[in-house]
Amino acid sequence: MHTIEATRRSGIAVAPDCTVAHAAAVMEQAGVGSLVILDGDELVGIVTDRDLVRRVLAQGRPADVRVDSVMSAPVVTVDADADMRAVFDAFRTHAVRRLAVVRDAKFVGMTSIDDLLVQRVSELNDLCRPVTAEILFGHHETPVPATIG
Amino acid sequence: MRASVGDRIVIDGHHVGEPKRDCEVLDVRGPDGGPPYLVRWAENGHEALFFPSSDAHVHHYEPSAH
Repeated sequence: MHTIEATRRSGIAVAPDCTVAHAAAVMEQAGVGSLVILDGDELVGIVTDRDLVRRVLAQGRPADVRVDSVMSAPVVTVDADADMRAVFDAFRTHAVRRLAVVRDAKFVGMTSIDDLLVQRVSELNDLCRPVTAEILFGHHETPVPATIG
Repeated sequence: MRASVGDRIVIDGHHVGEPKRDCEVLDVRGPDGGPPYLVRWAENGHEALFFPSSDAHVHHYEPSAH
């Protein structure tokens, strides 16, 4: 499976000069916990709801500070056409919970540990179903066909 | 995904009980109606650049005959 096929949540971007109040309002309306910061086509940073708490609210900073002053950079990325192994490698080697998915160095989406875990657990459930059924209901032997003549 | 200015994009909730989200396409930044889209969120009017995934669906704008 390619990374882009496992990216099931839309990505949202804002400009570097937007305020943290604007970023928070977009997060709330879009139902996401992170935004990427794009300067034109260039991916320059990422900001999460946790960043807004730790770097703005907890520091007593005003809501009109620029989002690029509280974003994290550089952004850990994974190629949209890379195998899923690249995603797991990136999560193993970087202390992040989200990865920006890029194609030709341009942002196309976001994937997160939470989304991948939900996906993997769902796949495991599918695998467990026939085993569980066999444990609960037993194994039915196929009857030997009757011989003719 | 293909969209035009005036179309609405609806994003499915990601958690049980989470409402769908709704935004209007203000500008199409990709080729041939493709993403990304500059959108305005219905509830608070804030704008952002939107990169749709499988959780998003386009409702094409149909102008009223009246």
